Amino acid sequence: MADHQPDRWDELLREAALAGAGQAQRIAELCVEMLDVTGAGISLASDSGTRGVICATDDVAMRIEEMQVTLGEGPCIDAMTAGGPVLVPDLDSRQDLSPDRWPAFLAGVASAGVRAVFAIPLRIGLISLGAMDLYRDRPGPLRDGELGGALLAAEAAGLALLSLQTSDDGGLRVDDDGKAFQSQVHQATGMVMVQAGVTIEQAFLLLRARAFASGRPLSAVAADVVGRRLRFDSEDL
Amino acid sequence: MSQDDASSSGARSAVRERAVAEMFVSLADTLVDDYDVVEVLDHLVRSCVTLLDVSAAGLLLDDQRGRLALVASSSEETRLLEVFQLQSNQGPCLDCVRGRAIVTSEDLETDRGRWPTFVPEALAAGFRSVTAVPLRLRDDVIGGLNMFSHRAMSLTEADMRLAQALADAATIGILQQRAVHRTSVLAEQLQLALNSRVSIEQAKGVIAERHNVSMDVAFEALRRHARDNNLKLHAVAAGVVMGEITPRFGGSG
Repeated sequence: MADHQPDRWDELLREAALAGAGQAQRIAELCVEMLDVTGAGISLASDSGTRGVICATDDVAMRIEEMQVTLGEGPCIDAMTAGGPVLVPDLDSRQDLSPDRWPAFLAGVASAGVRAVFAIPLRIGLISLGAMDLYRDRPGPLRDGELGGALLAAEAAGLALLSLQTSDDGGLRVDDDGKAFQSQVHQATGMVMVQAGVTIEQAFLLLRARAFASGRPLSAVAADVVGRRLRFDSEDL
Repeated sequence: MSQDDASSSGARSAVRERAVAEMFVSLADTLVDDYDVVEVLDHLVRSCVTLLDVSAAGLLLDDQRGRLALVASSSEETRLLEVFQLQSNQGPCLDCVRGRAIVTSEDLETDRGRWPTFVPEALAAGFRSVTAVPLRLRDDVIGGLNMFSHRAMSLTEADMRLAQALADAATIGILQQRAVHRTSVLAEQLQLALNSRVSIEQAKGVIAERHNVSMDVAFEALRRHARDNNLKLHAVAAGVVMGEITPRFGGSG
């Protein structure tokens, strides 16, 4: 595995957690500080229909976000549809990109001097939250460690958006016990969805809130749910 | 080796060769146009247990964030999943991925010092030996095929070669047959596979709760529904979570 500097990212993302309502903005700024990119933007697009630009680090990044929301096309739209990152290291390269893929988007960003775009969906399995776009005014791929950092930042940004959509004030806790994003957490999310009769997003928030309130790791709470020692019935909520 | 031993071992190897051939044919069948990555990987880890002398098998992928994430397991038993996932921090599979080489322990009892956190957990789950084979892509290693046995043992040279062939097939499955000349394509495919697995876990939870069944039974219901209706596992998982699909249970549920 490449050196991803995960500790440094963890530390910075934890700092970002303290920024409250500005979490998403701070995460976008961290990407610009830590990665060889010119700007970053984050948009919300949940399955419940809420969508819009959350933040951008500069005017060009804002334009990239707004164009995609308006046009309904672009790398972050594709990233959300596919459920995986769309990385375009050179927008002028025919090898990377067919010119008819996003005609209006490409015309719009070329005039703004954008040469590379890296779009990462913000999602946890079937919980779809939005996307993060990183752009650069020069072509070239993200290096191995940079991609790792961008993915960590996207994970954190996803949790920040999740909190924005609800009254969740548990704060951003990235991978709180070093192994939060594991099978049982996701299985428990599905179980809580049925028990409490809520959406999959809300079920994940309920799990996190319980972990936060009881001061226990998310994975321990999830293990109790999967082991059928803990239920989230609607009358208890 | 006596003549009797030799002939019975010859018969065994003929049976096995046929099983191996059948496995690769059925794998080729799943690698058609628009296949489901998790389904293919699931098929591969189950084949490991059938074809090799191992008790359990799992595939862990480098999540490109400095961790290993489980994407397929021969059983959904919680204890096993925990032993796999523990290796995000320590264990033979992590060593295999970092060192880009096969890592084995013929007897975990004697390897407690090597992986102080991992070994007690693996032993408590009933395993005595372990093999981890890298998923190679040219100079890169994108994950590891991890196999456990209840006995202290090591794979034969022939089994080891087959294990590596299965690991290589898994790499091909993850790359979705694309010619990967860009690292970005690899990154895109890896993230897709990992997220697909997360979706399936969420759907398993929904089914397990709704029908009061184990995770194993829930997963089998998902797979059966996908197979019977010619759908991707991922699409069935999404349908279950959206409440659009309710898999039926054949007897066991």
